[in-house]
Amino acid sequence: MTGYIIRRLLQFIPVLLVATLIVYAMVFLMPGDPIRALAGDRPMSEQVQAQLRDQYNLDDPFLVQYGKYMWGVFTQGDFGTTFQGRPVLDIIRQGLPITLTLAAVAFVFQAVIGTIAGILAAVYKDSFVDRFVQVSLVIVVALPTLAIAFLLQLTFGLNLGWFPIAGTREGFVSYILPGIVLAAVSTGIVARMLRSELIEALQSDYVRTATAKGMKRSRVVTRHGLRNSLIPVVTFLGADLATMLAGTVLVESVFNMQGLGGQVFRSIQAQENTIVVGIVILFVLFYVVVNLIVDLLYAVLDPRIRYD
Amino acid sequence: MTSASMPAGSLQRSRRISTAAGGALTVVLAAAACGSDNGEYEASADGGSLSTYTCEPQNLQPGNNTENCGSRVLQQLFTGLTEVDYETYEAQPAMASDWETEDQVVWTFELSDEYTFHNGDPVTAQTFVDTWNWVVDPDNAQATANFHDKFLGYEDVVNGDAEEMEGVRAVDDYTLEIELVEPFGQLPIVLTYNGFYPMPDVAFEDMDAFQNSPIGNGRYQMDGEWVRDTEINMNRYEEWPGEDPGSPERIEWRIYSDIETAYLDVQAGELDILGEVPPSRIAQVEEDFGDNYSQNESSRFVYIGLPTYQEDWEDVDLRRALSMAMDREEINEQIFEGAMTPAYGILPPILPMSRNDACEYCDFDPEQAAELYEEAGGPSEFTMYTDVGTGHNEYVEAIANQWMANLPIDDITFQSLEFAQYLDLHDSGDVTGPYRLGWLLAYPSAQYAMEPLYTSDAASNYAGYSSEEFDNAIREANFADADDADELYQAAEEQLLEDLPVLPLFFQDYFIVHTDRVDNVYSDLSSYVRVEDVDVLE
Repeated sequence: MTGYIIRRLLQFIPVLLVATLIVYAMVFLMPGDPIRALAGDRPMSEQVQAQLRDQYNLDDPFLVQYGKYMWGVFTQGDFGTTFQGRPVLDIIRQGLPITLTLAAVAFVFQAVIGTIAGILAAVYKDSFVDRFVQVSLVIVVALPTLAIAFLLQLTFGLNLGWFPIAGTREGFVSYILPGIVLAAVSTGIVARMLRSELIEALQSDYVRTATAKGMKRSRVVTRHGLRNSLIPVVTFLGADLATMLAGTVLVESVFNMQGLGGQVFRSIQAQENTIVVGIVILFVLFYVVVNLIVDLLYAVLDPRIRYD
Repeated sequence: MTSASMPAGSLQRSRRISTAAGGALTVVLAAAACGSDNGEYEASADGGSLSTYTCEPQNLQPGNNTENCGSRVLQQLFTGLTEVDYETYEAQPAMASDWETEDQVVWTFELSDEYTFHNGDPVTAQTFVDTWNWVVDPDNAQATANFHDKFLGYEDVVNGDAEEMEGVRAVDDYTLEIELVEPFGQLPIVLTYNGFYPMPDVAFEDMDAFQNSPIGNGRYQMDGEWVRDTEINMNRYEEWPGEDPGSPERIEWRIYSDIETAYLDVQAGELDILGEVPPSRIAQVEEDFGDNYSQNESSRFVYIGLPTYQEDWEDVDLRRALSMAMDREEINEQIFEGAMTPAYGILPPILPMSRNDACEYCDFDPEQAAELYEEAGGPSEFTMYTDVGTGHNEYVEAIANQWMANLPIDDITFQSLEFAQYLDLHDSGDVTGPYRLGWLLAYPSAQYAMEPLYTSDAASNYAGYSSEEFDNAIREANFADADDADELYQAAEEQLLEDLPVLPLFFQDYFIVHTDRVDNVYSDLSSYVRVEDVDVLE
């Protein structure tokens, strides 16, 4: 087991190198001169531009730039600075807790609500509950995320005043609306996935046997049906936790939260490779760890799976 | 009555659009002044606390900031030699109590000895000398360095031949002498810009650390640090010796990445002031805010430029034809619901010498335009250029449609580029057709509305315009005493309007919305809400 975990973590290194190289190249290849754009339509003098280019190695060839940056990261833990001299680590330190909290709230929401809705729909198949869950989930999945965000802001933020519209000033309660928005689509997918898996499981022979032996319905559903239906759901949730980081770009912007998602978006626009790559390193690390946890969970859910 | 402290000029400058049929503009008391009519509210005795919108500043270094998000914050933290009088848009004494010059070349500024930085350090003539030399030093890569380019010795410092500018001298502690390379009557108004603010010694030791909590000499001082992407808080600096200290006791700048969100927050009462209502909300702003909104003119000039360096666009008749084939009123009504000021001149109406009817070839006249275009042999197809992501495409396409309808043009294609790429294309001279750009004044001078954009080889002269007549006209105006310069700048403007290297389109108006808690809310030529003048009500 330990050997397996170490092997998996070692995979992190090539994945990281390839991912950062690709990202660095993409930002590098974006047309236009970032220093020129920095000044907007009020041009800086040639000397100032030259000084900045020199300071941020922008005149070096691509591989040299990339090499200098990665060397700094791995040998000195130096993630570089923005064009305005702010350390990238500082940005990460500020943004990471916000993005992680947001992702956690969204994850809990989609796992809990998605699972409950899926179970209810499967157990009471074809009833009103099932229809209600199905229809509302189709609506949630079909609506653009931006529309859901504005709807929630207007209803619960502006009109009812239950939640703050934006920002993180009011602590945990600020994360609820954006968390729901971030989780909305996946909640629908989790519920539908679990519903069909569970319906199939509840019709299988071992469930009929368990029922015939006089086991309580709730125990049959949770112990025999649910446990077998959860493997695809867990796979999905794991993969989704990683893609959720992409979703934070939009949600953080609409709810004015200062996490890493919005930051990476703005930095790509400004062609600030130091920030983009610094944050991507974190995202890759996150992805690798989450996938590892998912794989380990398989063994818990299905005793036939063993890692050596 | 709280509106007493509002400059009279801004009553005319802030207008509201009548929603009556026809949408005629009516000049009424600015909405900003209406909040106190019901008499329920009294201005808070100690000044109170307000929150206002800004975007994330690039930096909070006076010498390095050329963008809106940070500049409006710096204006509250620092006081320059002179400051803008928002009634007349002339320079008025600030740190300099008086100044004089005989030839517009050598200027002597008498400084008040009462100003201190928020850490107690005195601000002297030497402070200005040190600050400006530091800003100009190429090693420090400060974005406003070239605003100092008329100072004697600027070139030497930039080229590394000298450490200090020869033309900036501290005669004694409170007398500053500035010598220029040529006469320049606009100097006092130029010095209102944030690139000329004094900085304390501690700033030069570590500028990156300094900007986390800038120590200035202005009306307000930082309370805590700049929380990136989140907030900047400041309290009134009670030792500020000027005549008109800030009205609110505390200003909280809330940083938003999306103005739509800020708009909702004002509606919910979470944010007191938003100075830039998103264009999509302008139609509903009265319904949402009643009296708590105002429309304010700004100096933002939006134009369609023409690459006069390309053979196709050399002919002046061609440019006049394009200008006369644009129906500016219709674009304003159709695209902006009347929320802009159509431009019939180059100088923004907010400047006293502006005449927004100076342009002979801007009135809509499709017949004459078609005739001219045909005679000049204008191209039947070409490309128009815009920068993406900022809502420019709609009006650029509307103009193209008008041109195709009114002129013998078969096809106009569009090229929409990211801003960085867009500027690159301009710099390399590869723009082949009309393009969209804008210009916002950094300080309220006709000189700044024209010289950087249209003089031969100027840095922002994307049209590649080069006219000896114009260069001479602007020089003559610059050389003159500021009191005599208005007509000379008008003459320079007339030359531009004859040659039309750019086609004036509109001057942008900004809509402010605010909560019931505040009153006397208006914005200046840069579209900045003058937060130091806002009354907080109890």
